[in-house]
Amino acid sequence: MRLEASSSDYTLLEKIQGIRVSFVALVVTLGAVGIVGMYSAASGSMEPWATKQLIRFVFCLCIMLGLALVDVRVWLKSAYWLYAGVLALLVLVLAMGHTGKGAERWLNLGPVQLQPSELMKITLTLALARYFQGVSAEEIGRIRVLLVPLAIIFVPVAFVLLEPNLGTSLILVAIGGAIFWLAGVRAWKFGLVIGGVLAAIPIIWASMHDYQKSRVLTFLNPERDPRGAGYHITQSKIALGSGGVFGKGFLEGTQSRLNFLPEKHTDFIFTVLAEEWGLIGALSLLALYLVVVGYGFMIGLSCKNQFGRLVAMALSVNLFLYMFINIAMVMGLIPVVGVPLAMISYGGTSMLATMIGFGLILSVCVHRHVRLDRR
Amino acid sequence: MTDFHIRETEEARQRIIAVDGTLRRTTNRAHARLLLMGAVFTACCLAVVLRLSELAILKHVDAPDHVAASVEPPHSGRADIVDRNGDLMATSLQTASLYADPAKVLDSKEAAKKLVGVFPELTYGEVLQKLQSDERFVWIKRDITPKQEYQVQLLGLPGLDYRTSETRIYPFGAGAVHVLGFTDVDGKGMAGIERSFNGVLAQGGKPLQLSIDMRIQHIMRRELAQAVSDFNGIGGCGIVMDVHTGEILSMVSLPDFDPHDAGNAPPDARFNRDTLGVYEMGSTFKVFNTAMALDSGKVKLTDSFDVDHPYHVGKFTIKDFERTKPWLTVPEIFAYSSNIGSLQEALVVGTETQQRFLASLGLTHASPIELPEIGAPLAPHPWTRVNTMTIAFGHGMSVSPIQLTGVSAIIDGGILHKPTLIKQTPDMVQAGTRVISPETSDLMKRLMRLQVVEGTGKNANVAGYLVGGKTGTAEKVDHGHYGKKALLSSFVGVFPMTDPKYLVLAMVDEPKPNAHSAGFATGGWVSAPPVGRVISQIGPLLNMDPLDETSPEVTEAMALETDGKVHRVNLATTE
Repeated sequence: MRLEASSSDYTLLEKIQGIRVSFVALVVTLGAVGIVGMYSAASGSMEPWATKQLIRFVFCLCIMLGLALVDVRVWLKSAYWLYAGVLALLVLVLAMGHTGKGAERWLNLGPVQLQPSELMKITLTLALARYFQGVSAEEIGRIRVLLVPLAIIFVPVAFVLLEPNLGTSLILVAIGGAIFWLAGVRAWKFGLVIGGVLAAIPIIWASMHDYQKSRVLTFLNPERDPRGAGYHITQSKIALGSGGVFGKGFLEGTQSRLNFLPEKHTDFIFTVLAEEWGLIGALSLLALYLVVVGYGFMIGLSCKNQFGRLVAMALSVNLFLYMFINIAMVMGLIPVVGVPLAMISYGGTSMLATMIGFGLILSVCVHRHVRLDRR
Repeated sequence: MTDFHIRETEEARQRIIAVDGTLRRTTNRAHARLLLMGAVFTACCLAVVLRLSELAILKHVDAPDHVAASVEPPHSGRADIVDRNGDLMATSLQTASLYADPAKVLDSKEAAKKLVGVFPELTYGEVLQKLQSDERFVWIKRDITPKQEYQVQLLGLPGLDYRTSETRIYPFGAGAVHVLGFTDVDGKGMAGIERSFNGVLAQGGKPLQLSIDMRIQHIMRRELAQAVSDFNGIGGCGIVMDVHTGEILSMVSLPDFDPHDAGNAPPDARFNRDTLGVYEMGSTFKVFNTAMALDSGKVKLTDSFDVDHPYHVGKFTIKDFERTKPWLTVPEIFAYSSNIGSLQEALVVGTETQQRFLASLGLTHASPIELPEIGAPLAPHPWTRVNTMTIAFGHGMSVSPIQLTGVSAIIDGGILHKPTLIKQTPDMVQAGTRVISPETSDLMKRLMRLQVVEGTGKNANVAGYLVGGKTGTAEKVDHGHYGKKALLSSFVGVFPMTDPKYLVLAMVDEPKPNAHSAGFATGGWVSAPPVGRVISQIGPLLNMDPLDETSPEVTEAMALETDGKVHRVNLATTE
């Protein structure tokens, strides 16, 4: 397989010039919103969250810019290795992971707690993009060609499900599906799979015992447990409603301030922001995300190689899913699945994973003119 | 930059050339796919925007039914106990207890260190030892708070888990501990109402409503504690009773204890002086003695007795506390609390009548009140003439303070109502039994009022509430003989005497004279003041208007006719 570019290599200066300042500015804006949110969630205090979040953000920003300068061909070459490495980490977590809130998701590496399932979203994207880079538009019609990428998706999904982490495993499936879709896998195959799953549900359901059904329902919808997760959602909805159109003003949110809202600095940070900044603030934040997602797609479209195009678009899809699932969750549109709000929720792994994604998108942008051989 | 531009144009040119049939189709399809994906994203965003607008603008939060249902108190096994106004006196809460499976603990030292951080009251060595034991189940901490549970959760330590159990909570703490009692760790009633109604409470369901009024209970407890501390007593007890129904509105015994930690309470604190303690009551018994004498018909109000000399019975000498006149009438004997006069009244009536009369008041057998801690009275056996004489002024027979509530029968038209701790609905109120005639009862009301106005009970008087009562100062038996040092000072008061409604009793155990009591530690100095203070506070609380004591109705009701002269005692109430 030849990986040489059809055009000459960039100098470092050219690469730096190739980094889109406007994209970086958007990312910094998102990060700043997060830090303000942390400050507000702590009732107007830099402690205990905002300072740490700021340090993390600066650290992640450096990593993002560093990754942006790495040649896209390096990503292509190492895609499978990175994928295999993170897969090994996933297995490691299952083998000796520390229990955090009942689910084995974290790998304790001294000061940093790592959640390999977050990294898997990125390495899965790289591995699938690498695979489809080597598949021509004609070959993609053959089912045999799709067996390898299906395995690439479902092996990590199985491990993440075992953790158990339904939310992240569904996101992995969704990212995989998006890449399949963008790579050109025929629409009827999607229809077949979706139709098959839908058709199987009633059959499986009918064969289950009552207690199993009950468990599945609670698993899918924690609101069935009113004093557990349902409490979060009710409080969250009240807080969202109490913000009104214009919000209560910075540091004036009562529902979140009075600790009615649990997990306010992590999964429910959107509620804190929406209560204080109102409908207008919440829609602005939504718009900000959409601009970043759209920007990622534009970068993907402008890319001359299939690998970069898929990587940029799939990572944008990932960001969108992340954002959508969290926001829909806190307003009770979908079940509580424990997904943080990317870039804004408190927590290192989620931010690191998101900004590694941004770094890769920027890398694709910088190297968008690099031509890669389909073989 | 120039180089970059050239490359850009070069790329464009190559792309145009490369667009052959297949590629064009692919590109078109790719665009269609992107559009479809964009449509899906837009739909998602639209849903979010609509929902957000709905929440923010309509402010309509539809809490699902099951969430609303959760507002109801969670079902917990043992039934609540409430006071007569429905205030919660005892309830059960689900609490978590933390245990560990040492085999699943990865790093016992780290785990012990973190746990001690959450529970500073535990020691590192103790926790470590538990976590390193060979057992598969060790308790780390029983009954932890939800906050502690959350903190332990955040530690993320494997091998730790919770068991929920029921804990009995008494919102008023020690406030009514001798009434309520307490439960053991398994939720079984060990004392008080918790024990006597264990079966009913264990079934759960509706709360058990007591006759106690926590507001009155609080006042009584505060004033009694004040009296005990003022006179440096070793303890005390107090009771407030509705004389018409026998309902106990307040029952306090001091010292008391925290029912949540009953195991560590000293035995003296767990001892219910109201019901379990039996004491020689002293002069308060003269209420019974005088009523008995008058009701027998053998003693008239105008009769006089020679009280000039101490009375010698065998090796005992019976004296009066203070000498007043050589001859005293019945009202004077009562008001000045003459022992010599009282015993002569009893001798006129006779032993047999005295025995029967005290039995009819329930003083010779254990109180029927609904508590397991009941002390049986100590009555003499055989009941000799000497006993008759000493019992006349409250010695030689021991009863529990709850039995003194029999005074209510003497002033409430002669009808005895058994004391009860359960709130009585109108149809539940017992008919009661007659112990004296209404006429005698009417005389006794006037006599008890006289006692407060002119006798030893002045300190219990409260303007407008026409308090009547009787003091008592008994010498406690110490190793078989009476010692003047250890006293039991009591006062039993009733108000308003025109139409008695409530009985208030206070007793201080072993009071010592203080700087303000002129060297006395008697019932009039020690126990009458707290009764007065209680009445002045609960009167308004019980919606009782103060009476005009100089009005003709009141004056007439309290008038006492002796020696052909009408003794109008109610005029000198406010000092």
